[in-house]
Amino acid sequence: MEAHHSTAFHPPVESTVYASLVSNRYLTSRLIPVIAVAAVALCVALVITVVSVMSGFLDMLKASGRSIVGDVIVSSGIGGMPYSEELLAELRALPEVAGATPLIDTIGLLRMPYPAGPQKETAHVQVWAIDPASLTGVTDFAEDLYWRAPKDAATAGAMAPDDPRRSLDPTILEDGKRLVQSSTNTPGIALGMHVSVGNARQRDGSYLPRYGWFMPGLEVTLTVVPVSGKGKIAEPREQIFPVVNEVQTGLFEVDRNRVYIPLAEGQRLLRLDEAPLYDLTADPDASGSYPVIGRTPARVTKLLLRAKPGCSADALRDRVQTTYDAFADRIEADRMRTASMPRFVQVLTWEQQLRDLIIPVEKEREMMRVLFSLIYLVCAGLILSIFWAIVVEKTRDIGILRSVGASRTGVMWIFLRYGLIIGTLGSALGVLLAWTIVTNVNPIHEAIGSDAPLAIRVTAWSLALACAIGLCVTALRRKFLPTLLWTLGTIVLTGAALGLTLHHGTLIWDPSIYYFTLVPDKVDWWAAGTTAVGGVLFSVIGSAIPAAKAADIDPVEALRYG
Amino acid sequence: MAEQPLLEACQVHKTYRFGAHGVEVLRSVDLSVRSGEWLAVLGSSGSGKSTLMHLLGGLDRPDAGKGEIRFRGEPISLQPGSALDNYRNRDIGFVFQFYHLLPELSVLENTLLPALVQGARREGRALLRHDARALLGSFGLDHRLSHRPSQLSGGERQRVAIARALINRPAVLLADEPTGNLDATTGAGILDLLAERHKQGLTIVMVTHDRDVASRATRQIRLVNGTSDSTAQN
Repeated sequence: MEAHHSTAFHPPVESTVYASLVSNRYLTSRLIPVIAVAAVALCVALVITVVSVMSGFLDMLKASGRSIVGDVIVSSGIGGMPYSEELLAELRALPEVAGATPLIDTIGLLRMPYPAGPQKETAHVQVWAIDPASLTGVTDFAEDLYWRAPKDAATAGAMAPDDPRRSLDPTILEDGKRLVQSSTNTPGIALGMHVSVGNARQRDGSYLPRYGWFMPGLEVTLTVVPVSGKGKIAEPREQIFPVVNEVQTGLFEVDRNRVYIPLAEGQRLLRLDEAPLYDLTADPDASGSYPVIGRTPARVTKLLLRAKPGCSADALRDRVQTTYDAFADRIEADRMRTASMPRFVQVLTWEQQLRDLIIPVEKEREMMRVLFSLIYLVCAGLILSIFWAIVVEKTRDIGILRSVGASRTGVMWIFLRYGLIIGTLGSALGVLLAWTIVTNVNPIHEAIGSDAPLAIRVTAWSLALACAIGLCVTALRRKFLPTLLWTLGTIVLTGAALGLTLHHGTLIWDPSIYYFTLVPDKVDWWAAGTTAVGGVLFSVIGSAIPAAKAADIDPVEALRYG
Repeated sequence: MAEQPLLEACQVHKTYRFGAHGVEVLRSVDLSVRSGEWLAVLGSSGSGKSTLMHLLGGLDRPDAGKGEIRFRGEPISLQPGSALDNYRNRDIGFVFQFYHLLPELSVLENTLLPALVQGARREGRALLRHDARALLGSFGLDHRLSHRPSQLSGGERQRVAIARALINRPAVLLADEPTGNLDATTGAGILDLLAERHKQGLTIVMVTHDRDVASRATRQIRLVNGTSDSTAQN
């Protein structure tokens, strides 16, 4: 074999093919990179899962909030706003407005039909006196009515055999939409789904009557306290309402507290309806009544508005505020009016209205993101320590590579590339793992919250027993490492089997705390992308220090190593 | 006019520093290797043989201002690291006592390693693989191409190491105790292999402590306490 023509002392044109070959072999012939990939994957999956659930929670909160109160809310004091129909007509004529509805928001006491016997349970509730037809154009009120007959046989077939909806009369939905009991033609009440103890939520999200208390058709007594515009409390007033339906907004706080009655009933009970205006300066007539000089208009305490597509809630709020101020000025100037508009009304977007609910969750999400992002440092530290050990172990290899002409840069690239591949593989697996967990979070949650199936418990005990047998065998052979591994396996599996046997489920996602009955199960892909990129970046950073150390190793020393 | 030496060491000093202390391993070593010769550097343990080989191969540099290594008349000691990388890759082939094969790579991949460092296009790589197979075949290793070093005997490993050293057709083969880790018969086989390559024109510099091994070379020099004591032999 002839020596080639020397090209010594010319700038080298080094290939990176050998670096790829060596780093690929390091990756595929050892266990350590598998551990490193698993570590990165777990870190990435943890961050994505936590941020996705938190983001989903926030999104659900916002979506629910908007579907419950519309885009813009006009709120007055307890005395209410007169001339609401005129104002609403003006507001509905605005090009930005898709819908507007009046309501009265107050508190009340609700005497329930249970338990049997003279003593009944009473709940304090938030009362919304609404105009159901126009409210449906602003919120999801009609869609949120829970009790409705199945649309077809297929829908009915998908329901549990004892689901009351299978045998419901189709009129129940219409009664709910109108807040009228059609059989008696009396005003009805719709309860939030969790106001009554009679509704037991099932694993599939449906409800079964508990203790036999199926609320629609039963009667409840609502007591409210009228308060004058000057804050003077009048005699409490009560009315019996038949329950016509129940409402499930998905927001637990709302569903536990709120009841809906017709607006006219609310106005009457709270003395906010139209009434004669007496001249108290005149002398009373023979019956003691003062002369009537006009009528005071009916009042509402809130107006809810829905923006047309393309119009932001902020833009609508500004427009509504301007319109209200102009309307109030006109009413003020009109001497024929018997009432004036309240000057201090709050015009808020739904986000502002629900900020007490939304802001803490937003802050909580950011805090979680920051705290869990510290896991990146764990990731980088793991990679660094693993790679440091690899570089030390591979010191002689580095000397060999340098002896055949590999440059310092080339040696460094072997380990950087190694880190890059581990980061990329780990991040990809982490995203996949997070996607699997997040999209199945509700079944997982339910599995945690219930007894383990017998087959799983038997399997766990069988594996623990197998490990114990392995432990006995290796102990008799006096082999330390296998004995240690079998001992650890036996302890872990016995612990798991015991846990599965003794534990009867934990409800982690308590809807009374988290507002929603289901855990959010949508992956936040922006968070997933940034976390995956972070995983790769920190893996490369973690590998950079050992890679630089490898490049700095003196080849002569390296060849003598080991 | 005398033929220019292929490789030279001129008044080379090398001191290793351990904190404040220094150990002078080589002192004013002179050495000249002509193209096509097989030079044995004979010396006992600690005489500086391996250090001299590392200096000749560009893995290390002499003490600053104290001697130089020349290849084809050009001083290499002052060249930048990248030029020395290139020199080791193209002009020098190393064979070590302990083979120094990468354990994760197969026989074929270990052999190809210097060629891959040099770089080749994809079609060139196919040609390289063909050359490496032929080289390993000529060493009786054609049935071992996909094996890992751990699956080979000591003699086989050293033959792979020689094949790796030759894959880039270097000008000089530097062998550091190439039979030092082998039994007599296997070691003789390795020396036969080197002799065959020498006959084909390969220049070899071999360091050894074994007189019998050194006797296979065409010329010997002796290193005693870090200085050269040359004795010409035919």
